[in-house]
Amino acid sequence: MVEALEGTAGEKTRTSRRRFVLGMLIASGAGALGSLLALLKVLVPEAKAGYVSSIQPGDRLVYAKGPQMGSPLRASSFKVGDAVLAFPFGKSSNPANLVQVIRLEETEFKPPTHLDLTNQGFVAYSAICTHLGCTVSWVQNQQARAASFTECFCHNSIFDPARGAKVLSGPAPIPLAQIGIKVAKEGTLVFTSQFTGPVGPQVS
Amino acid sequence: MRVFTWFDERLELNRFKAKFLVKTFPTHPTFLLGELALYCFVTLVVTGVFLGLLYEPSTTMVSLFGSMVPSAYASVVKIDLLPLGTIIRRIHHWSAMLMIASVLAHLMRIYFTSAYRKPREINWLVGLSLLGTSLLAAFTGYLLPFSQFSVTATSIAFYVTKSVPWIGDWISRLLFAGEFPSEGTVSRFFFMHVMLIPGGLASLIGLHMLVLVKQKHTEPPSNKNRQEAQGGRRLIGIPIWPEQTVISLAFYLFFLSLVTMMATYIPLNPIEKYGPPSPGTPVMRPDWYFLPIYGFLKLIPGDLSFSVLGAKITPETIGGVIFPGFLFLVAALIPFLDRWKEPQHYMVNPLHRPFMTSLGTGAGVFLCMTAAAGYIDLFHLTPAKMTIYVILVTLVAWGIIYTLLERYRRKRGIHVKT
Repeated sequence: MVEALEGTAGEKTRTSRRRFVLGMLIASGAGALGSLLALLKVLVPEAKAGYVSSIQPGDRLVYAKGPQMGSPLRASSFKVGDAVLAFPFGKSSNPANLVQVIRLEETEFKPPTHLDLTNQGFVAYSAICTHLGCTVSWVQNQQARAASFTECFCHNSIFDPARGAKVLSGPAPIPLAQIGIKVAKEGTLVFTSQFTGPVGPQVS
Repeated sequence: MRVFTWFDERLELNRFKAKFLVKTFPTHPTFLLGELALYCFVTLVVTGVFLGLLYEPSTTMVSLFGSMVPSAYASVVKIDLLPLGTIIRRIHHWSAMLMIASVLAHLMRIYFTSAYRKPREINWLVGLSLLGTSLLAAFTGYLLPFSQFSVTATSIAFYVTKSVPWIGDWISRLLFAGEFPSEGTVSRFFFMHVMLIPGGLASLIGLHMLVLVKQKHTEPPSNKNRQEAQGGRRLIGIPIWPEQTVISLAFYLFFLSLVTMMATYIPLNPIEKYGPPSPGTPVMRPDWYFLPIYGFLKLIPGDLSFSVLGAKITPETIGGVIFPGFLFLVAALIPFLDRWKEPQHYMVNPLHRPFMTSLGTGAGVFLCMTAAAGYIDLFHLTPAKMTIYVILVTLVAWGIIYTLLERYRRKRGIHVKT
């Protein structure tokens, strides 16, 4: 009896058993994969827009760092060739709002600088490097001011603030975006426009 | 002895000893490089437990000496103020650097003596995974003190991850818990740094050891001439217990004293000097093992962008993804491209393999040159000029070494299939 089972019916049940296990495995595998995808979706927060500035024309500029942090920038404290990092007043939590304000001679500006966005030699650019998002610095040359430039110390991208922050050297793909500023009546600096181009790293 | 007998009766310790502790360990100074990496890992785990018990993975602003700083930063400053706190944190950091150094040295030993050949291809791949995972461990550790340095380095890595073709945006949000910086990044990195990655490292080390126990060491060629070898025995050396264990322990103690001394006298990652994150990025360079990628990123011109099959290839993709990916891929393929198909159980003299040896040294010179490219601001060189130097020096070094080795080989009349 037992031998007969193994010979004929046994073969059949074994195949169907094998098929059953295989079917179960495939089904559970698909189920596991499905729930894994759902799990990953939970772990990946929704995409937010990267650097979006919230600067509005009329916002006052304040020092972004240093002992005067938070107090308004005054035109009178700038010599030609000076530069500082500034935020719009009350909006310092958004890194896309960080700008570098530089004072040059009015005659120094050349295209593609937006001349209408400069005032009394003051010019402002986004301070977020368009390469990988570090903050740019002002490299001042006291002897020959034309040799001063804006540099990102992360990967040495060099920008020319007198020429619309054009990339002079290094891996940055596009210039820093310019933003309009002017000297207000009481001698403080205020924004007059929004950024002329995209702010921050230009990946993806 | 009675204690031993008690355990032996229950766990058959003597059988274990007879089976595993008498395993032969061939002796050669370079065979300690892998062990050194293991010691670094052990030291990292021990010091890491200490640091992990005191660290706070959060960016909530707290008051520290009157100023508001992220609590992660504050907790590391407080660790530094504890008795021996700074030294333990430095031992952790130095061990991480030494671990990657010894993994690389171990890899070079395997490469130059052809120990990756059949049957050891699997362990070569496991070893490469260990290198990759160690780099990941080091990288996730950068962010934790949440200093200006941490945030700058991680921000760069975030945009590099984002530049991965097709899946970059998704994968960067998975790893960094959203855009960087966001609140979740520090706690996610903390879990990866103290749990997932060390767990992965421990498993990979286990696998590495298991395969080693099964396949056994390659041996110094001098072993071929020993009497036992004439009798047909392959593995000649010292047993694990007690000889090798004593040597290893002594070596570990030496390593510990060295690393403690370095931690005592050489400052490292002085987060109090970097300060908490603030606007402005000073000149900062990554630890030495990331310098080639860092330098490579400086060399690629910014306007080199193009699209392939819907994937945007930017300079970051090339420098941060394709370049390291290509290095790992070539390394992974080496055992399979090697024309030697017989099992290889003895170390091959690198002087007898002009092509492979010069290729390896050439790659080393190339990596050193790209690391040097990280310093173009100090050399006052333009990226274009430095690129030419990198290519020239690499090719010249490769050519010279190949020519010298080939001449040596001809002169000695050595014919070794490579």
